[in-house]
Amino acid sequence: MRRSTLLFAALLVLAMAASLAFGEVRLTPVQLWDALRGAGDPLYVTILRDFRLPRTLVGAAVGAALAASGVVMQAFFRNALASPGLLGVSSGAALGAVSVLALGLTGYSLWVLPLASIAFAFGATGLVVLLARRGASTERLLLSGVALNALLGAGTSFLLTVSAGHFELSGQILFWLMGGLESRTFEHVLVGLPAILVCCVILLRLARPLDLLSLGEESAQSLGVDVRRLRRTLIVLSTVLTGLATAVAGMVGFVGLVVPHLLRLSGGPSHKRLLPDSMLAGASFLLACDLATRTLPGGLRLGVLTALVGGPVFLWMLRSQP
Amino acid sequence: MSAALRAEGLSVPGRLEPATLSLQPGTLAALVGPNGAGKSTLLSALSGLLPAQGRAFLGADALESLSPPERARRLAWVGQEARFDFAFTVREVVAQGRFAWGDDGRGVEEALTAFDLGALASRPVTQLSGGERHRVTLARALATAAKVQLWDEPVAQLDVRHALEVLALARRLAGEGATLLVSLHDLPLALRFDQVLVLDRGRLVAQGRPQEVLTAALIHQVFGVRAVTGPELLLELE
Repeated sequence: MRRSTLLFAALLVLAMAASLAFGEVRLTPVQLWDALRGAGDPLYVTILRDFRLPRTLVGAAVGAALAASGVVMQAFFRNALASPGLLGVSSGAALGAVSVLALGLTGYSLWVLPLASIAFAFGATGLVVLLARRGASTERLLLSGVALNALLGAGTSFLLTVSAGHFELSGQILFWLMGGLESRTFEHVLVGLPAILVCCVILLRLARPLDLLSLGEESAQSLGVDVRRLRRTLIVLSTVLTGLATAVAGMVGFVGLVVPHLLRLSGGPSHKRLLPDSMLAGASFLLACDLATRTLPGGLRLGVLTALVGGPVFLWMLRSQP
Repeated sequence: MSAALRAEGLSVPGRLEPATLSLQPGTLAALVGPNGAGKSTLLSALSGLLPAQGRAFLGADALESLSPPERARRLAWVGQEARFDFAFTVREVVAQGRFAWGDDGRGVEEALTAFDLGALASRPVTQLSGGERHRVTLARALATAAKVQLWDEPVAQLDVRHALEVLALARRLAGEGATLLVSLHDLPLALRFDQVLVLDRGRLVAQGRPQEVLTAALIHQVFGVRAVTGPELLLELE
């Protein structure tokens, strides 16, 4: 394993430990270790198991998924400024979640909201691929994504306007649209973590073909990559990753854009390093942002904070683009 | 001896009329024709990069029967555009030529040297000039060790020394049994090739030895310029 990857793995362990230890109740390392083993103060054990552990696991999975999905999109579109939501996945997931919230269906089960947003995320990508099918050129895919994003965004805004009179409901919707990890449960872990892990493992095995694809479809094809199959696989993986991340944490922007880009600047574009490092760094970044929303005053939402950090970084990136 | 590269009625609707051609192993062939005549289309179709009707064969095998890696080990294609969006190093890009061989790294250094890229090996490809980028894509194709090489205007952007070096290398590869089909705009240069194929408005109008094919009449018909043939080929507007 490369040194940078080990470094980012260590960083993630630290971020996870901090995410478990800090909050309204602060645990010392010893208390944390005891609580993890189920020993010590039962209150700490409960806090850790029922609140912080699911929150931390979901946060790490979401950060890794968004960063990985960003790497995929950037290689796919051969553009370092492509983001996970480019094909309408995030806005699809958002519309799904907002729909069930507006219809008041979330009371039935914790599963309703994530499942609805996953369904909509897949529906959105499916639609883009269908629209772009003839020729299926990258540019057409991109344009279809732009159009669909606008359409889905309009749907979400409409539902938000309609529910504006209902204070609690519109609050719920807004909270979801701004992303967050509070009161995540093991159901959320179950929805997100296993599939995200599987997708990440599959992606890591595609690092080399991704290298070739990122320098051009025709050259990749001529050098022996089955480009059509690879593109299909990548669309599915990136949809699952972004869809699930959005389903369990709401709209969280800029992670998929900023993390891979910074790592590419610091360590080069080779996916063998870029992919694992982005996953680990994305997870750490998200946990750090979540920790900040918990500890900083002012009730910052996660999606607001990632954008607040990511926005300026993104602008700086744009300025330094050759 | 069977042909190294063969096409039977290979066509692309609207861009290339059914073309039939055959190149023996060890042949250095030039593909000429005016802008928009279909040179790139023919090369892409022959490489299996462009959906085409009709059939193409690599040796005895139909092109579409080969898996992408199998085909890549036997046929290399170099596009007209050499554009890189990510800052891989020159060596990393050339090493991609070994993808279909399980990334064994063989012949990468030799390919770098062959195209005078040794000193640039660690430079990011995004910082190279147009001609340098073209040499990188040629070196990557050379690294594949494929016996059939299709190059789309490899020398159009090269300075005179590198252009001559590329052609000398092409000649050497043909001498070692490789088959090369190279599109060109420089008709006098095409005279030095073993074979010349002429495309005109999507139609393959001639194939044969340069002196037999590149006659004043054909050049006038295809390119609309006056040609004085002889030991030197002189071209001028009418």
